[in-house]
Amino acid sequence: MVDVRQTATTPDLDHEMGQTWQHDASLTAWLEETIPSGVNLQGSRLRPSSDATTVRSRQGELIVTDGPFAETKEQVAGYDVLECPDMDEAVRWASKHPTLLAGAIEVRPLLDSPPPMPLPEQKEGTLRYMMLVCLGEDFQMSPQDQSEIGLGTDAWVKEMDGRGARVFGSRIEGPDRARTVRRNGTDLLVTDGPFAETKEQVAGFDVLECTDLDEALEVAANHPMAKFGLLELRPFWRPEEP
Amino acid sequence: MSTPPLATNARESTQHVVATVFRDEWGRIVAALIHRTGDWDLAEECAQDAFTQALAHWPSDGVPPRPGAWLMTVARNRAIDRLRHGSVRAAKLRQIAALAPSGATGPDEEAGVTDQLFPSEDSAVPDERLRLIFTCCHPAMGMEARVALTLRTLAGLTTAEIARAFLVPETTMSKRLVRAKQKIAHAGIPYRVPPVSALPQRTSGVLAVLYLLFNEGYSASAGTELVRKSLCDDAVMLAGVLTKLMPEEPEVKGLLALMMFHRSRQAARVDEQGDLVTLDAQDRAQWDQAAIEQAKQVLDEAWAKNNPGPYQLQAAIAGCHALAPQAEVTDWPRIAKLYDQLLEMTGSPVVELNRAVAVAMADGPAVGLALVNELEASGALQNYYLLAATRADLLRRLGQRAEAAAAYREALALVATGPEQRFLAARLAEVTR
Repeated sequence: MVDVRQTATTPDLDHEMGQTWQHDASLTAWLEETIPSGVNLQGSRLRPSSDATTVRSRQGELIVTDGPFAETKEQVAGYDVLECPDMDEAVRWASKHPTLLAGAIEVRPLLDSPPPMPLPEQKEGTLRYMMLVCLGEDFQMSPQDQSEIGLGTDAWVKEMDGRGARVFGSRIEGPDRARTVRRNGTDLLVTDGPFAETKEQVAGFDVLECTDLDEALEVAANHPMAKFGLLELRPFWRPEEP
Repeated sequence: MSTPPLATNARESTQHVVATVFRDEWGRIVAALIHRTGDWDLAEECAQDAFTQALAHWPSDGVPPRPGAWLMTVARNRAIDRLRHGSVRAAKLRQIAALAPSGATGPDEEAGVTDQLFPSEDSAVPDERLRLIFTCCHPAMGMEARVALTLRTLAGLTTAEIARAFLVPETTMSKRLVRAKQKIAHAGIPYRVPPVSALPQRTSGVLAVLYLLFNEGYSASAGTELVRKSLCDDAVMLAGVLTKLMPEEPEVKGLLALMMFHRSRQAARVDEQGDLVTLDAQDRAQWDQAAIEQAKQVLDEAWAKNNPGPYQLQAAIAGCHALAPQAEVTDWPRIAKLYDQLLEMTGSPVVELNRAVAVAMADGPAVGLALVNELEASGALQNYYLLAATRADLLRRLGQRAEAAAAYREALALVATGPEQRFLAARLAEVTR
């Protein structure tokens, strides 16, 4: 069984359009097809990139900036974790997603274990964030770096899981293993590669559960990749919000 | 005992009082209402309503003995009113109960909740502005958003005024403010003073916003909007508030002193053509001596903490200039030493350049030139016209006219039309006569 991840990407939708998406019948239909059958393990719509915060650590200094990790025309709008026998099947499910009316879906295999099922109930008084771990395409990792990052990440995962600050997460395959699905009228277009050619690419993700953004920033700052890459914190779209 | 109503100029003099009270109380009221209700828009609107009420009633009823408390009472009653009659009442009240400070239990009794939410005694209205200013200046927001939100909630400028001050259409500024508040709500930016561990970094973030505000106003050329130039006063006011709220933090006093020293020279800075007059050429009789004295006192208080920082050092440098009765008696060796410290602290190449200028004044242009050449070689300030202009000036003073001319031309290539261009062109003409 191959676990793949689906990233819904759409042009940055306005507040009003977002409202339309929430209640879209076709989205509900897609979820109804994929969740009960066990294909769709977990997912969520995310707040737009104007609510994103990016963090990195350089020469021991924490740098926090407003906005997503890359200013692309299309921005990540949501995600789903699918369990499929292979990429082709995942792409097939992606092709039915209503997001394709306005954007693209990038599919990439997960490298680590799937999320715990069912996902633990969100704790009262917390916010959930998608933390995108991004790395420069030209990033050269020495074996020493690799080891440091590997051990550091294991330690980080252990600590954050223990604190209840991390719900689950995974590294994902590189952009060369990605497939992007778009729709052009009735035609389906499946291309190799990520949805956007950015200098930095997503190398992994974690779902965080924190009291507020300051805690999320602290959690992100402690990740070993903060030193080498960028971490974007995107709040989950809360169901009760308009 | 309130002031009896005045006969003819009641409205005008009341307006004056209200304007003064507005400056002192707006931020305080907005901060308190945001703390209690968690609703930024509601807070601003209720504060606005309270001031409207003041303008309506004080001319006839007289100015109350404690205007701030009067306004706070009116504003919070308005907030309670609106929350009670809001459309999602029940949910809102649960939300309010969650925000209530003293462990309120059960939102069932509306009156009970709102009484606990807003304690009845008017006198002790705690100053919540520190929470507000740190939230407005949170690094997760863009600089433009931080500046706009600070001006709106703490200085009470209207959206239109802020738009004019930053030379953008009102709709742009309105969107900017809406986005900023949305980010705070959706990204979960907490409304609080940061914990002690984060305080140093977050405080310098706040000071950076205030200094940016000041510089926007200070560098505003003649003939621009008054509201833009008065950003200086807003920045000084806010820094003053911050010194009261953070009395143990010397950098806050350092920034205040720095701004006050700069502002003391306002009258002498610009000539009839609107060109900047350099420090050595300014008519020092026009400098505001009272402001200088005040700035010096603030700086002395900061130094007493024995914890120097970049703003304190810059203020000390500004102080050296401000306290020299003529340009010729400026204590350049002291200034050079202060720049040494500032350079060590910041590693900034611009500071390094300013230091070279001070050293040239203290030890002669040849020594200064050596430092400038070092800086040039490092490549740190490429395309920075002041580097070439400084080199040109030192060469000119050393009598190396041809080399000076070349450097002036270099500087001119980097500078658009305007006062700087006119100044450099004049100098170039001098060395090529």
